[in-house]
Amino acid sequence: MNTWAASAAKPLPTATSSGKRRLPQGRRSPAPRPALAGAALVVAGIGLGATTALTITAESVGQLTATGGLATFAGNLTGMVGTYLALLMVLLVSRIPFVEQVVGQDGLLRWHRRLAPWPISLLIAHAVLLVAGYAQAAQAGPWHEVNTLLFSYPDVLIATIGLGLMCLAGVISIRAIRRRVRREVWWAVHLGMYLALALSFAHVIVLGPSFVGHPLTRLVWSVAWAATAGVVLAYRVGLPVLRSFRYRLRVAEVRPEGQGVVSVICRGQHLDRLAVSGGQFFFWRFLTRDMWWQAHPYSLSALPQPPFIRLTVKGVGDHSAALAHLRPGTRVAIEGPYGIFTRHSQRCSRALLIAAGIGVTAVRALLEDLPRSARPVVLLRATRRADLVLGTEIADLVKRRGGQLHELTGSRMTASIDQYSLRHTVPDYKERDLYVCGPEAFVTGVVEVARSLGIPDEAIHHEAFAL
Amino acid sequence: MKRAPLLLFAGTAAGFIGILGFHSRQAPPTVAAPQAGSGASSASPSAAGRTPVGPVAGQGTVRTALGPEEQYGYGVLDVKVTQSGTRITDVSVPLLQTAEPTSQQISEQAIAMLRAEVLSAQSARIDAISGATYTSAAYIQSLQAAIDKLPAR
Repeated sequence: MNTWAASAAKPLPTATSSGKRRLPQGRRSPAPRPALAGAALVVAGIGLGATTALTITAESVGQLTATGGLATFAGNLTGMVGTYLALLMVLLVSRIPFVEQVVGQDGLLRWHRRLAPWPISLLIAHAVLLVAGYAQAAQAGPWHEVNTLLFSYPDVLIATIGLGLMCLAGVISIRAIRRRVRREVWWAVHLGMYLALALSFAHVIVLGPSFVGHPLTRLVWSVAWAATAGVVLAYRVGLPVLRSFRYRLRVAEVRPEGQGVVSVICRGQHLDRLAVSGGQFFFWRFLTRDMWWQAHPYSLSALPQPPFIRLTVKGVGDHSAALAHLRPGTRVAIEGPYGIFTRHSQRCSRALLIAAGIGVTAVRALLEDLPRSARPVVLLRATRRADLVLGTEIADLVKRRGGQLHELTGSRMTASIDQYSLRHTVPDYKERDLYVCGPEAFVTGVVEVARSLGIPDEAIHHEAFAL
Repeated sequence: MKRAPLLLFAGTAAGFIGILGFHSRQAPPTVAAPQAGSGASSASPSAAGRTPVGPVAGQGTVRTALGPEEQYGYGVLDVKVTQSGTRITDVSVPLLQTAEPTSQQISEQAIAMLRAEVLSAQSARIDAISGATYTSAAYIQSLQAAIDKLPAR
């Protein structure tokens, strides 16, 4: 067994110092239940269908054929469907455990990114179409009608402010802009999305043709919104706070691993009750004066060995670089664990693990969690030998599981992972699950190679990290 | 989650059909049943095009009665009815407040049509104006209460 926890325990007199080699083991995260996530998806679909139908049934032929009626109807429809989709976008990032365990935080974010332009576009269309429709009906110019809508209709002004906030969040998430903006700014703007949705709520209920005079529809809609708010609060705030208080993590030791990489070892209570699988990550919030307000995702670099838990971080951003200067005793709050880069995703009995750079941390923890039958082949890639951190731990784990370790060092040109090298080093790649972890570009590249080799998507599992 | 799009689509279809089915099972919102054989009222806007029966002068005393204020989804209104002898000679809406201009516009149009219907039906048993269901309901409610205040004809 690895000894990282044992040596961390040395300066702490209360740690188990008995000569027994039996290291305490924590619990593993529960197996995912795809049926539950499927049911959630069906419910989301029912809501979408019902929202669309409600808008249509609120309309009469007379209204539709009246001047501006068509634009007004289209405006109502885009508004209702857009609002409903916006609600779904919030739910996608609310980290509902039984959904997250199936799709993974990574997968949920991908869906969120792919779908989020829809509600924003629909809501912009909603505003434009209703201005056009109302202007036609009132025989007024569009600018005059904008003025009328904003200042004489109840709750439209604040809803417009909400739409503005929503557009801002959309714009800042466009890839080219996102890269130029600090993570904290992007996060704060995204937080404004909750405010935007809250601001828009009133005008929907007060003016929406599907709600005026329909107390039941009003009630159901309000309950759905309250439930969404409840889910967000429970899983994004409540559960993390509860877990942080329960495990009471404090930094025990910051250990250099070489080349700007440090391991942060935290000590906590009840860690034997913390259900986490190898390859999962937490959002870590180190409660120092400068860092308490930001939470960053880092994988565990080993399974917990109660009362210790370890993450290994490379100092590439402001936050990760600051971790090297953490003082022992610093309190740590956690959100998680998240991720499906775990043994639960295994489809074959054997596994091939590929990691680049600091992606080695997740692979290291996963390796520890894989059954012996996995006979893991591990491929580590780095530009220089010195960048291969946790090398001895991995070599040890691979040896105990009867696997093979290949280290590829050199520039991207000389030490690349391509069809040829993969076939050559891992001849039985078709009977293995492929786990890839590393920088986004690396992961994309390897996944492409794997697909071209005919490895099915179900057997490819990846976790990419961005700065 | 390869079946994700399928599940989502199935759910959407179920929700859509469910609401439509529920909606069509419910009776359309009839406010007051049209009098059989009266033939005077029609739900279509063409009702406004009919020649309204004008106020008939003479024949007894002129009385007015004001119905209660009726709140409806988009605003509030009350109805005043004028009766000369046994005939309803005028109906008006002294109070009409709506949430916003479009509702005001819709209500005003509907009220003109409703007035024509009342004058020809000579009662509150008239059809609602389509596209102004709530205004019609409030109007008829207040009108009936106003008529009830008048001595029986």
